Amino acid sequence: MKAVLFLFALVCTLWQCVHAQIPSEQEQHVTSFFNSHGGSTSRHTNNWAVLVCSSRYWFNYRHMANALGMYRTVKRLGIPDSNIILMLADDTACNSRNKFPGCVYASAARDLDLYGDNIEVDYRGYEVTVENFIRVLTGRMDPSVPRSKRLLTDDRSNVFVYMTGHGGNEFLKFQDNEEISAFDIADAFEQMWQKKRYNEIFFMIDTCQANTMYSKFYSPNILATGSSELDENSYSHENDRDLGISVIDRFTHHILRFMEGVNKTSQATMQDLFNVYDYEKFMSHAGVRSDLFRRPLDQTYITDFFGGVSQAEVMSPPLSLSPSSNEGSEPENVPESELPVELDQSLDFTSWISSDTNATVRSADEVYGYDGILHELNSRAHAPKQGENMQSVRAWVSTGLLVALVGWVGSNTT
Amino acid sequence: MFWRNNILAVLLLCCTWCLATSEEFHEALTFRPLQDGRLATRFTFTTLLRGAYPRDPSTLQEEDESQHYAIFPLALGQVLREYAVTELHLTLNAGKWDYDHWGYPDEPGVGTGAELWAWMGESAARSVDERWKGLRNALSGQFCASLGSLDEQRTTSPELTFRPEGSLPQWGTTHQLRHGTLPSEHVCTENLTPFLKLLPCKSLTGIASLLNPHRLFDADWHGLGVHVRYLENEGIEVRLSFQSVFDPVRYSNGRRDWSLRSVFDRVIDRSCPIAHSSEIRVAIPKEETAVAITPDSYTTHAGFVYFNVSNASKPLDISMSWPDEQKFEYGSSQSRGRLSVSITNHMPITIQTSYLESMPWLLQFYLHSLQIYSNGVSRDDLISIVSYIPSVPHVRPTLFQAILTLPPKSTLHLSMDVIKPFLRYTEHPPDAQRGWDLPPAVLVPLLHSNSSTLDPGLSNPPSGFEQLRLPRRMYTPVLLVDLATPDFSMPYNVIIMSCTLIALIFGMVFNLLTRKFTLIRVSPEPK
Repeated sequence: MKAVLFLFALVCTLWQCVHAQIPSEQEQHVTSFFNSHGGSTSRHTNNWAVLVCSSRYWFNYRHMANALGMYRTVKRLGIPDSNIILMLADDTACNSRNKFPGCVYASAARDLDLYGDNIEVDYRGYEVTVENFIRVLTGRMDPSVPRSKRLLTDDRSNVFVYMTGHGGNEFLKFQDNEEISAFDIADAFEQMWQKKRYNEIFFMIDTCQANTMYSKFYSPNILATGSSELDENSYSHENDRDLGISVIDRFTHHILRFMEGVNKTSQATMQDLFNVYDYEKFMSHAGVRSDLFRRPLDQTYITDFFGGVSQAEVMSPPLSLSPSSNEGSEPENVPESELPVELDQSLDFTSWISSDTNATVRSADEVYGYDGILHELNSRAHAPKQGENMQSVRAWVSTGLLVALVGWVGSNTT
Repeated sequence: MFWRNNILAVLLLCCTWCLATSEEFHEALTFRPLQDGRLATRFTFTTLLRGAYPRDPSTLQEEDESQHYAIFPLALGQVLREYAVTELHLTLNAGKWDYDHWGYPDEPGVGTGAELWAWMGESAARSVDERWKGLRNALSGQFCASLGSLDEQRTTSPELTFRPEGSLPQWGTTHQLRHGTLPSEHVCTENLTPFLKLLPCKSLTGIASLLNPHRLFDADWHGLGVHVRYLENEGIEVRLSFQSVFDPVRYSNGRRDWSLRSVFDRVIDRSCPIAHSSEIRVAIPKEETAVAITPDSYTTHAGFVYFNVSNASKPLDISMSWPDEQKFEYGSSQSRGRLSVSITNHMPITIQTSYLESMPWLLQFYLHSLQIYSNGVSRDDLISIVSYIPSVPHVRPTLFQAILTLPPKSTLHLSMDVIKPFLRYTEHPPDAQRGWDLPPAVLVPLLHSNSSTLDPGLSNPPSGFEQLRLPRRMYTPVLLVDLATPDFSMPYNVIIMSCTLIALIFGMVFNLLTRKFTLIRVSPEPK
């Protein structure tokens, strides 16, 4: 008798546990959204960039220009300053040796100023150290470190890590004073994976013997590229006669030239970028490591890493939305300021959206009607509450049953 | 329906207007041509939050009440309330202010590098040091400067020199001062970008649209400042300032004529609609040569020419020229840095000034060797030491405050022996061969000795003080000192050489002990 009761209690508790693990409707909807293209999309919702120039002194101007060129590209394609960590080990633009104050150029023709008027450098000067770089990646910082110096990524972030400076076989020099090794970076990435701090990482490095720096990675979803093989140097591209030093490196120069042809809506893929690699132009064998990366390179967009672009579904409303005409059916939970005024039914909503996002657009007829959307939103807003209610009711009922059983057993045995 | 919507809009407008009148924004730009042909400019952006109080530090444990700002910069306001700061001054300067040729600056904080000082009330919940750490980290993130490294090795509390410029509220707790400088800090566009984002009109309209970083950072001296203070009966005032000294002679062909276009490469296209007052002031030089100022729509008052930017016709380009001059020649000046300080008093009366030296622990004073010479004669009575907190190596900087009496029309030479302790090899910066920047000494002229009472704690100087045109603070130039730098490649060399020696010695000894030479008879080949 007691054994039967014990078994019954066990079954009740197991039933509760099982119910708690069934994924809610919300999670299923999110997973199906990200898998809608057969699982080949990146599944990221936000992009971050960590750009590091680890060399100090005026004659390393080209390393600063490398990092600033990448900064400009990444900002132009949509990543905001709050999602970029820029580390520059020395001040070139306002250096007293700089003939053009406030400007950093990446070509001898001086056609484009990379410093501009609107730049935020998060770590500069003596703050660019190996310790700070690893703290930025792993997120282990003193609580007083401000937000702009933190990498606040989550498990749906794509992170672009770019490093440039002087390096060698499995090491990179920071400010001529200390070194970071390939093992350190690999372990930092593994910590990030364990703490769910990235969805995918694109690691690019432009130093001498750069390909050795990514040879030690062992975490999943990392795509890496470097500018030269073991025992090879990476070379600078051109000198500026007025400044007196080299202004850009070959690897970064050709990558930036390719990037100038990419904009926010571009469908260019990583394979197109890697097809630019040419020994004749670089004077070194640039390499790619994609064995840890689960997606094919010809289906991975450049904007998955470089742009502030992610997958979105936009439902085009079939009705015209001038505020004065819709008196009764105007929904209360959509603020007026967000509705486009006088949107015609005939307007091609897809062209309006595709000018600045790389979104998957479906017309309203395919999915829901406008009223249907609102109904869905409302019902989904209530559904979690109903689910929660049901779960708590179940929990109380089963505990009540257990208590009753224990009491009955106790009363029977005495 | 239509009227209901309109009434709502009107009510909203009224609400925002009521809120807006409690905040005021003033912007001003002052030009002062200097005697050596240069041009000193000063941008001032002042936001006054009426009726506001700084946060009482005794409420730090509880949730703060929500603040509503329309014009007042939110990012800065949040930092101030988070750490319950009453008064804050941050300056980021580059260059050396030449007091001899440029006179006294309008804003006294011209020490090279970064200087941050704040008055905070004491609190049992969170100590002042803890809040100082949080404050400098928050400001370093806000202004993209390395202020986070102003740790306890660089922080002092020189209350005699840095008096509060506003009022300190009476909460029953005392206020403490924390001050730190980083003389080697660079200033560049990344410090200007967040500065502009704190302005209500950003850099799009009004006077702030003249802030062109490519020209500002080409100036002979430039510095930006953020000053927050509490004014009793008024509220909290935030003053963002940018001072610079340009050299029009360098831009043009030897003429010191200037215009907004030639100095900033920009003109004012639109005025900032939020500004209560927006004006440009040009100081008329006191020399005899004729000066022409365009456009003509200005008012003159007390040696200054005033332009009202809101009323002026746009695009507004102000220019000043000396039509009768052919070419302007400027003399060269040279100054050397010495560890001793020499102060010259050009005035015909005795001046007393407080002298502050806050030196990092890597330069220790031998106070007994302090010598004062005035015009070649040793005068020990001219200095009276107020406080001396010696440094503790690797922990705390030196704080030395004294009152100097400067006789009329004389030069005072102060010198002191110093010793440089040994740095640990991990404490050297990456570019160790450059040396260390020493923070500037600060001189604060006090009341002249005609008055019998000497009150260095006076925050509002009396009217006689103003007539003397003495500055609030003066800074000496920043010095660079060489410390004993180890040979960083030495360990590698030692290891290589000693391993080679050991290998050779071991090899020889091993061979001597174990190698046996034996004779082998090689028998002739059998035939």
